[in-house]
Amino acid sequence: MHMFCYRLKCLARDRELVFWTLIFPLILATMFHFAFDQLMGRQEAFSPIGVAVVASDSYQQNITFRQALGAISEPGESQLIELTVTDEREAFRLLEDGAVAGVITVGDSVGLTVSQSGIEQSILKAVLDEYAHRYATVTGILRANPAVAGGLIRELRQTRSYTQQISFSSAEPDTTLNFFYALIAMTCLYGGFWGLRNTTDMQADLSPQGARRSAAPTHKLGVVLYDLAAALTISLAEVMVLLAYLMLVLRVSFGNESWYVLLTSLVGCIAGVSLGAFIGTYVRKSEGAKTGILIGTSMTMSFLAGLMIDTMKDMIARKAPVLSYINPAALITDAFYSLYIFESHRRFFLNIGLLLLISSSMCILSFLRLRRDRYASL
Amino acid sequence: MLVSVHNLVKRYGDLLALDHFNLEVGEGEILGLLGPNGSGKTTTINCILSLLTYDKGAIEVFGKPMAPDAYESKRNIGIVMQNVAVFQELRVDENVDYFCGMYVYDAKIRRRLVDEAIDFVGLGEFRKFYPKKLSGGLLRRLNIACGIAHKPKLIFLDEPTVAVDPQSRNKILEGIRELNRQGATVVYTSHYMEEVEQLCTRIVIMDKGKTLAAGTKEELKAMINDGETISVELYVLRADDVAHIRQMPHVTRAEYADNHLTVHYDGGQHNLLNLLDYLRSRDLSFGRVFSEQPTLNDVFLEITGRQLRD
Repeated sequence: MHMFCYRLKCLARDRELVFWTLIFPLILATMFHFAFDQLMGRQEAFSPIGVAVVASDSYQQNITFRQALGAISEPGESQLIELTVTDEREAFRLLEDGAVAGVITVGDSVGLTVSQSGIEQSILKAVLDEYAHRYATVTGILRANPAVAGGLIRELRQTRSYTQQISFSSAEPDTTLNFFYALIAMTCLYGGFWGLRNTTDMQADLSPQGARRSAAPTHKLGVVLYDLAAALTISLAEVMVLLAYLMLVLRVSFGNESWYVLLTSLVGCIAGVSLGAFIGTYVRKSEGAKTGILIGTSMTMSFLAGLMIDTMKDMIARKAPVLSYINPAALITDAFYSLYIFESHRRFFLNIGLLLLISSSMCILSFLRLRRDRYASL
Repeated sequence: MLVSVHNLVKRYGDLLALDHFNLEVGEGEILGLLGPNGSGKTTTINCILSLLTYDKGAIEVFGKPMAPDAYESKRNIGIVMQNVAVFQELRVDENVDYFCGMYVYDAKIRRRLVDEAIDFVGLGEFRKFYPKKLSGGLLRRLNIACGIAHKPKLIFLDEPTVAVDPQSRNKILEGIRELNRQGATVVYTSHYMEEVEQLCTRIVIMDKGKTLAAGTKEELKAMINDGETISVELYVLRADDVAHIRQMPHVTRAEYADNHLTVHYDGGQHNLLNLLDYLRSRDLSFGRVFSEQPTLNDVFLEITGRQLRD
């Protein structure tokens, strides 16, 4: 307990590492949150486009066009335009003042006048093009075969979707979640910093502290286990802080299975600490080079798990499936994802099993090197 | 013998670091291990501590073969490394407690030992300080406290006073003497001849992985040709007087430059009286007179050679 407690103190007071393993993920989470919030906010804040129609005789007589405009200007969820029917002078004054995005004039054909280009103007143009296209199609069919008129009109009034959204659970599919899951995976892998620090402080050929500890009458396995337990404790505590922040402050959903979320975090942290220990024992470079390799490895793994591009994980799973099975970050991300999205735990436990297999392999290989008690040179 | 090293051979690739090296350390000694850079002092200590592998030879500590799992022997050994081996994230008292805890498991006993070690090295007022707040000298003292807190019977100190101010150095040397008085056997390596001369009861001079000479400081001084050196402040001295002085008994060299006559002897008695009698007989008026006995530095340079080393 003495050695465990002091090891914990030692690691927890390493401010630089605490920044990278705790504060940095919290900052990233906050940035993700605001970026997605803005994106979602923009979608939710869509307001109907103001448009003025010149109330000419042609407009009054063109019932089809009036009905079409009426349908898309009806107040409600699908309202696309806010229609103002007025005389030509007033219509162009509204356009000049910026009160409307365009002025529609109806003569032999339908015309649109805009004062600038933009998204709203493009939408208006697309709407009018669609109307013109449909009008031409329908009048063409009716001219050729007037008998189908009734059926054609019924068909046109129906909006039919040929794809269906299916959910595997009661959870709402959310593409932004993968970013947060990949962020947790990154934080778990950043536990590797603690594993790396442990190996440096343990080996006589890497640090004077390691030499002093190696000369002490304590079994090497004991030192390894105490250090590993301390690294795991601090790494897990950091992931818990991040999870609490995501769940309670940023309201990110992880489904309703808290124990499985904890299990994923624990196994993820074991994978992270093992990765650090593995790099620390097998890479025979300076401490700075080892840290660089650890950051590079964990960031690449997190990138492939979808930290920066949400479709990356699926793309890797389709194009290079083996990579998905050996990438701890992808396994952690997928474990969270499958917890959220699937009712069944089969895929979740496959991920956990693979993570444990990878972690135990790295741990055993590291210990085989660490247990060496004497060194060829110091 | 507390430590016995027999025919120890250690190679770093093509470099022969220890060449059939032998060493014996008796109980209660303060043994000084002297040698130029790269002579094998630290390698010897690391082999004895079972930190390094070696190619040939045998090492016994407390009469038992030394091995990484010789926990009983290790329990009675204290080490003070050349590089400061403390954790920057732990305070002074926590560092001492941590390393002491690797030897002493009883928390109550350990608390007492930690307090004693901190007082011993004079870090009482700094016990709540983090290492980065300590000066170089205080840091070295902390390094020592971490190595000796568990009251070991055998202590290895590998250049513990490197880059330390004179006050801290004196404190450290006093401490080592005190440890020895309390019954600890000390193996001490240093580059500072005067430290070894003041401190050590026996000295081993090594170079290129071999023992060149061993004995008390008096025995070592007796091994070299140099005796005392006498310097006399003289304003006038003729060349024939210098030539005469060179012919006097036991004189090995005599030079006159910058109004100073310097005469080197290879032994003999009453050299100073004889020289002054001669100067008076020649009516030569002289100023200040100095007589210096050979130092360990002279012995070291004589034995290891005077050419520069890397």
